[in-house]
Amino acid sequence: MTLNRRDFVAGAAAIGLAAPLPLGRALAQEKVIRLGMPQDFTRVYTFVTAEYSQGQRDYFTLINDRGGINGHKLLAEVSDHGNDVPRAIEAYERLKQQGAVLIDPLSTPVARALVPRALQDQINMLTTLSGRSDAADGSVFPYVMPLSPNYWTQAGILVDFFRQQDKDLKGKRIVLVHIDTPFGREPLPVFQALGKKLGYEFQAFPYTPPGNDQSAIWPQVRRARPDWVVFWGAGVGQTVALSEAVRNGIRMDRVSSSVWLSESDMEVAGKSETKGVLKFEACAGGREPKLIQEILKDVVGKGKGAGPEGKVGTSYYNIGVMMAAIITEGVRVAFQKAPNGPVTGPWLNEGLRAITNFTAEGLMPPMTSTKADHQGGGRGRVVRWDGAKFVPATDWFTANQDLVWDEIRKASAEFKASGK
Amino acid sequence: MFYRRAGIRHTSYRAERQLWPLPFDRALVALVFALLVLAPLYLGDLYLAGYLLPWIIWSTAALGLNFLMGGAGQIHLGYGAVMAIGAYTSVHLVRAGVPLEVAMIGGGLASAAIGIMFGAAALRVKGLYLAMATLAMQYIVDFVISHVPAISGGTQATIQVPTVRFLGVPIVGNTATYYMALAVGTVVTLFMLNARRTSLGRALAAVREKDYAAEVIGVGTLRYKLLAFWISSFIGGVVGAVLAVCYLRSISPDQFHIELSIQLVAMVIVGGLGSVLGSFFGAALILFAPIVLNNVIGSLSDTFALSISSDLRAHVPLMLYGALIIGFLLWEPLGLAKIYANVRDYFLVWPFRHARR
Repeated sequence: MTLNRRDFVAGAAAIGLAAPLPLGRALAQEKVIRLGMPQDFTRVYTFVTAEYSQGQRDYFTLINDRGGINGHKLLAEVSDHGNDVPRAIEAYERLKQQGAVLIDPLSTPVARALVPRALQDQINMLTTLSGRSDAADGSVFPYVMPLSPNYWTQAGILVDFFRQQDKDLKGKRIVLVHIDTPFGREPLPVFQALGKKLGYEFQAFPYTPPGNDQSAIWPQVRRARPDWVVFWGAGVGQTVALSEAVRNGIRMDRVSSSVWLSESDMEVAGKSETKGVLKFEACAGGREPKLIQEILKDVVGKGKGAGPEGKVGTSYYNIGVMMAAIITEGVRVAFQKAPNGPVTGPWLNEGLRAITNFTAEGLMPPMTSTKADHQGGGRGRVVRWDGAKFVPATDWFTANQDLVWDEIRKASAEFKASGK
Repeated sequence: MFYRRAGIRHTSYRAERQLWPLPFDRALVALVFALLVLAPLYLGDLYLAGYLLPWIIWSTAALGLNFLMGGAGQIHLGYGAVMAIGAYTSVHLVRAGVPLEVAMIGGGLASAAIGIMFGAAALRVKGLYLAMATLAMQYIVDFVISHVPAISGGTQATIQVPTVRFLGVPIVGNTATYYMALAVGTVVTLFMLNARRTSLGRALAAVREKDYAAEVIGVGTLRYKLLAFWISSFIGGVVGAVLAVCYLRSISPDQFHIELSIQLVAMVIVGGLGSVLGSFFGAALILFAPIVLNNVIGSLSDTFALSISSDLRAHVPLMLYGALIIGFLLWEPLGLAKIYANVRDYFLVWPFRHARR
């Protein structure tokens, strides 16, 4: 078969014309709560999105098979925005038209671009471990919902863990190796302020994005003779940082990451070489938690899983389950407050901002969101890689929240002054 | 049949040099323009804010780049940075209390001033070497914006665009933003259409074809290359301001990275170098093909309950998109505008195909 120009152009035109055809879904008659999940499956956040989305969908399947919440099914509309703002805005407008009450873009640039729209349209925007850290200030960002510990909190908890280990940080040296983007520079003020308070010396080593070559940085880190090293990046930068740390002979039990480190990263960097590495954890990993067991039995076991079974129980999968559980809890509280709806953005907002001591059956630390605090208390724990899995090194705790909230209020005040 | 060329006699130079000598073309342009102006009346938010608005803005940007690439033959891989300078300058000016109309021009001037510095490289280097010089501009501007908190806006590196007025109308909601983008787009389109038949356009064409031959016939390449960079960067700066105010509403450095520049270069090449219409076609294809393909694949897999994994479902549209671009470049290297021209040529003499030129 030869393809000529006319056939090709006609084919391309046919795709274009077929696009607006309403290929509707069979769910139209059921009572549904639409949740928009346009996420980045193809560009930058690929390291987390597939597992995160799989966890979310498996949890929603679990809830829907049990009859949903108050007779309503939770319908997750998953699509790919490729970390591209025009595509994300198209997806957002499409979801808005379909009546979505929540949107979860899982991308910092997209979340930043959608903040003004979400606030105006009163659609809840979930910014799981991403987006603006100052959105924790619910009085300024009523519809932006991090509902997870932000980066300042993660830095605060890590430094407090170091203090617990060494009893006193006076005269110690903490080094931060970070990607040289706004995201990577975000924790700097907390590390610096805590350094003044606790008396440790702080040094920062930025590497150029995306961080696939950090060989110039790590010898400098070694020469700095740090007591603790924190590396702060995402995706490829994390595995490269770990490999370089190993190569430069830095003591693995004194190296820690933010939340963005997963089992698959450890495989790349070498499972046994990296034994002892620490990271921040927002919810329990592994297959032990009760919810994950139930998903394995009732969803994956019945062949309804949204992805490969091997990924169930990874760190990012469990974060997806945690966020889906928080959304579901928000829906439940919203029904408690207004049983007859109507199901709108403001209706769900009332629920999401009144969650009390929710632990998702032991998957996560107790989370309490209020109209002022969208972070949910900022609890987490530090876990240690034992060569095969991450093992908790501490119990759930929070630390240095006064300092974190100073940063939050400072940034949200800037936003307030600039907007409107 | 449709075009009715018979009987049209040009008796003056003015008549002969009209933009659209055939009545059918004039009617078509008027119809499309009327549809665009009336769009907010018959289109919902999704199509107005999700499709038309970005299409107008990206097309205008592609026009500005096309002036340089298609008109003067100078490649530019840093057009995203040019737009970033315009966006940041105008937003900071607006926040300082300058009216938007002035701030837009200010953004354009800042872009032109910085753009012309890198454009000066074009006086010494050509082709791939110029591509490298403009690529350097992209990275330098990116670096400066994200490393100067006073520009990028503090730890969150995002600045909000305050509510502004354009010609007395508050730019809020979808309709006002759309009309502002359309107004700027119309002005730039008219400029581009007319530039080609001025002495400037002809001088640039001479520089494009062979710069030292142009110098020999008395066209100062120094002057015209710099002028081309100046004008193109000015348009880029103004479009950057429109993009920030009408579409993004809060700007951060990652919105103007190399991806934007590559996207614009792709629009110009796929649309058709030097073609005004092509810029609009190219912008539509590059912006919307991923979205449309995603929606088609998504609804197909939902409707027929195909059990394809989410990874594959996300990547199939990308493969099709790549195939589409390669296909267009293989079968019609002159761009989408040429496909339109082929169709038009066919209908010019239809139904008397044997009479084709």
